[in-house]
Amino acid sequence: MNNAFAELLTVWTAGPMLSIGLTLAAFLMATWLFARFHRPLWMPPVLIAALLLAAVVALSGIGFEEYEQGARWLTVLLGPATVALGVPLYQQMHHIRALWKPILVTLPLAATLAAVYALGIAWLMDASPLVLSSLAPKSVTAPIAMGVAEQLGGSVSLTLGGLLITGVLASVFVDWGVRWLKIEDDRIIGFALGLNGHAIGTARAFEISPTAGAFSSLGMGLTGVFTALFLPFAFPF
Amino acid sequence: MVLLRGFLVLVMFFLLGEALRVLADLPVSGGVLGMVMVTFTLMLRGRVSDELAEASRGLISVLVLLIAPGVVGVFFIVEQFYGQWTTVIVALIAGTLLSVLTTLWLMKKVSESAAGDGRHE
Repeated sequence: MNNAFAELLTVWTAGPMLSIGLTLAAFLMATWLFARFHRPLWMPPVLIAALLLAAVVALSGIGFEEYEQGARWLTVLLGPATVALGVPLYQQMHHIRALWKPILVTLPLAATLAAVYALGIAWLMDASPLVLSSLAPKSVTAPIAMGVAEQLGGSVSLTLGGLLITGVLASVFVDWGVRWLKIEDDRIIGFALGLNGHAIGTARAFEISPTAGAFSSLGMGLTGVFTALFLPFAFPF
Repeated sequence: MVLLRGFLVLVMFFLLGEALRVLADLPVSGGVLGMVMVTFTLMLRGRVSDELAEASRGLISVLVLLIAPGVVGVFFIVEQFYGQWTTVIVALIAGTLLSVLTTLWLMKKVSESAAGDGRHE
């Protein structure tokens, strides 16, 4: 019985279909669970999907290496998906024109600081170069951040973990900050959510209002482009 | 067919981005360069075709599916970064708190002064 299962596993993991099937199933289940539990801020769908997958991959004995090799057939699509982000960015262009002054002043400084604060703290705490280059793109939307981490020689897995934590924290901290600084402009709230919390922050912004959502997409897109273009040049390792 | 045509455009821009990365020796990923090129092309054309808009929406809506396999890796590198996790967590919490407050404060100040300028003009 055990032998037959081992043999079946060898056959199944010879091609990528098992990984693809598992990933699709986890994605659909995570989407369903997320809606079922009233869209909790601290538990985005990507975290649910990853937890489900990690459990199956570890318990079934497939192993992460084997799983990842098959899942690569899906993850190669991140390339064109990153290109696709240019379309909503273009569609937000009229927002950029209307508010270009605050955006132009805030974006380069805030996007740089989003990376520098965390890097500075990690550096002071003696983090290894691998950890530093993995954390550098922490505020950037995932497909772009994965590219940046690869370019800097970081660990993509650690980057994605950092991204996830950052997105969840940013949603919570913006909530606090807005109350503390008495900000009522949805455009500012949205922009701050997207700039710091990428896609997870943007999902939160859409719950506040459509305006906040639009500005969050904008902040996310611009931070992504800015960080991806400048971080690899500025990073001193 | 409509989706495929839009997807072909995205793949072509990705390949162009990769070409630019290699030929100009840029440390930026091909996808990002492709995204910048798409944005500029659309700005020059002044409109986005339905095919491209459809294909983009489709891909963006399954981003979680494409990213999830990478996130799974986090649970398998716990040992690899043994002793570094406190650093990682502290840097993320304090760094994110500081950068959120900075962004909000900056945006508030700048948009207030922009509104002030408007009143004086």
